[in-house]
Amino acid sequence: MHKRNIVLFVGIVLGALALLFFNIPIASSQGATLVAARVTEPLPLKDPTAALWQTATPLEVPLSAQAVAAPVLLETNVKAVTARALYNDSQLAILVEWNDTTQNDSMVRVQDFRDAVAVQFPIGDQPLFICMGQVGGNVNIWQWKADWQKDSTAWQDMQTAYPNMNVDQYPFARVAMPAPSEYDDPNYVPAFAANNLFAMPRVSPVENLVAGGYGTLTSQPPAGQIVGGFGAWDNNTWRVIFTRDLATTGADNVSFDPAKLYPIAFAAWDGANGERNGQKSASQWANLQFEGAVAQATQPTSPEVTVTEPAMRIVEPGTPPDTTSTLVVFIILGGLTLLAALVLKARGNWE
Amino acid sequence: MAEVYNWQLGRKMPYPFPEAHPQKQFAAVFNINRCIGCQTCTGACKATWTFSKGQEYMWWNNVESKPYGGYPQQWDIRILEQLDAAQQAAGTTATWDSTVTGDAAPYGAYNGMTIFEAAPQMQNVLGYLPPDTEWRAPNFYEDTSTAYKGDDLGISTEGASLPEHQTWFFYLQRLCNHCTYPGCLAACPRQAIYKRPEDGIVLIDQARCRGYRKCVEACPYKKSMFRGTTRTSEKCVACYPRVEGADPLSDGVPMETRCMAVCPGKIRMNGLVDIAADGSWVENPKHPLYHLVKVEKVALPLYPQFGTEPNIYYIPPRWAPRPYLRQMFGPGVDEAIARYAAPSRELLAVLQLFRATQKMIFRFEIEAGPLVHEVPVNGKPWQMYNDTVIGFDAKDREVARLSVVEPVHERPTARLNSI
Ligand code: SF4
Ligand code: SF4
Ligand code: SF4
Repeated sequence: MHKRNIVLFVGIVLGALALLFFNIPIASSQGATLVAARVTEPLPLKDPTAALWQTATPLEVPLSAQAVAAPVLLETNVKAVTARALYNDSQLAILVEWNDTTQNDSMVRVQDFRDAVAVQFPIGDQPLFICMGQVGGNVNIWQWKADWQKDSTAWQDMQTAYPNMNVDQYPFARVAMPAPSEYDDPNYVPAFAANNLFAMPRVSPVENLVAGGYGTLTSQPPAGQIVGGFGAWDNNTWRVIFTRDLATTGADNVSFDPAKLYPIAFAAWDGANGERNGQKSASQWANLQFEGAVAQATQPTSPEVTVTEPAMRIVEPGTPPDTTSTLVVFIILGGLTLLAALVLKARGNWE
Repeated sequence: MAEVYNWQLGRKMPYPFPEAHPQKQFAAVFNINRCIGCQTCTGACKATWTFSKGQEYMWWNNVESKPYGGYPQQWDIRILEQLDAAQQAAGTTATWDSTVTGDAAPYGAYNGMTIFEAAPQMQNVLGYLPPDTEWRAPNFYEDTSTAYKGDDLGISTEGASLPEHQTWFFYLQRLCNHCTYPGCLAACPRQAIYKRPEDGIVLIDQARCRGYRKCVEACPYKKSMFRGTTRTSEKCVACYPRVEGADPLSDGVPMETRCMAVCPGKIRMNGLVDIAADGSWVENPKHPLYHLVKVEKVALPLYPQFGTEPNIYYIPPRWAPRPYLRQMFGPGVDEAIARYAAPSRELLAVLQLFRATQKMIFRFEIEAGPLVHEVPVNGKPWQMYNDTVIGFDAKDREVARLSVVEPVHERPTARLNSI
């Protein structure tokens, strides 16, 4: 098993480097582009079935089980999501839909996991590793959570999961059946005392996060929770809207200039299958393009040219490399990869 | 994965992080023989740490009646079964190699799989997540013994006698083992769990935890628990303010935890042992825990084969079947019971120190006393001396002084009827 992981890793890195060398951008290896339709009216922030969404072209994004970093669930349930995007002068809204036969919107009992969906954007202009970014290259992640959605209407608590429960008293609380925020002494709800968003009253069903590599995912502080959203489950389908102002401040947020293309990636979790953390379905990078604006900014007469232009080129388009230099480069790449694998092995990350 | 040395297994084993050891390690010895199953320990922890909403099913300390009881139910059988299945799939059987000896392998060498070695592909640890139904009724099967073999009237014709009772149960006192190689920590994909360098206490960072429950799944002792209200996992904090000497009562020196200090059965002794850079215990035969675990070897780790190097040690019950005890405490069981049944002068003195003070004892001294008793034990003569044992705290101040024979105080006639 351990050897196989190294081989897998070496294979993945070699493959990625080969893609790079042959001028295939890793930032958009699918080449798929989600085009945000430009509208003038207010965006349907809480209505996933609004007619306005039909003005946006849907993009089907295939997902597969994350299989690079432990823990891995070999079989995940969400195989694809359908995305649509709208924008106006000030805001962007993304609608993501996927099939899920089970509505998992509670995370109170120990065996309950939630359904969730996330979008990811690199921060800055450099190409980033699809899996949570990398050291020195952060990604901005927005995660919608089914239980947070339900909490927004009514906080789910022990009495929700166990309606027949009975208790004499919860000391140090302001009310008889306290939510974590209703304690006089927050030390008895340490996650709340530590400002962990999971334990705090919901301001949005979407969490705004930043990451720079595996295991580094971090919630932005409460004041930085600037992504709105709404999700509803109907007829075996989740429909989830993410909304955010186009322009933002803060080094950990992607800021949108409609004249540019942005890499975007998707991930989804089926709570019924115990999916959480890296045990999820994830996509490759796609592009997010703002309809109209790109054309105006760069190619007024032929917007379709910019549509096919990948967002993040690693190598400028040029003549293909000749075979001798290809060979040399491959030998160098192979050596580098083995070196990287050995370093990781020595650090104990792989084996 | 890195390679680390696990002295309880007498060998190296894979672990997701390279070896790094604390300067001291939080540890304890529990004398199963003395436990009365009163659950005072359980209540003390509950009343200190887990009385709030979302912690209803949380018992960081629990006492279960073996062999049937378990919290969560059947936790040990379940993980043993999983280990066994992994070993069968690999075509191996787990045995202990007794030819490997020495301080670095006091119980021999374990050649079976640990929970790290038996982990499924692309997972760090083998485990399972018990549902809420299994965390309920934490004292289910309390005092339930194995089947009683009686005559027609239900009365045993032979009675019960050592070394093994035909009908038996015993109490197993459990809390987080503050493991040297914690399974919980190995499984957390975001390093929200850490082991403190000053005392080896294992904590979950409540700011970083995202309620993934990989730790709940991975802890073989099932001592990481989920809190539905905050949607994060919590676990025993080893009463760290007391261990730090920060409790107002502690007089500035490390103090035993709540569950240890309240024990009416006087079964528990808690302390900090010095750890060398290679993870071994720094030789210190006058430290009571070192003495019990390393010199006398009467106290043994719980399920060492899991591979986490747990730091709560148990003096096994004298009356239970040995194969069951060997499965639970490893191959050191027979020697531990033999030494406990006929204790050396020193061991008998050290055993008096249990629950003599709330302060952690870092050193003991023994003042020799007279021979007071001589009886045959297991067919051999055994002598009891009325020695006096003195315990010292972290500042080397005397905090306990006890003689082996408890002094008798006679009530004067005038006070015979007083209450
Ligand atoms: S007993 Fe469990 S929770 Fe405690 S340190 Fe060990 S693995 Fe972690
Ligand atoms: S050490 Fe403290 S926190 Fe841990 S079980 Fe005992 S009383 Fe509870
Ligand atoms: S308080 Fe002591 S005697 Fe009572 S159940 Fe706990 S460990 Fe046993």
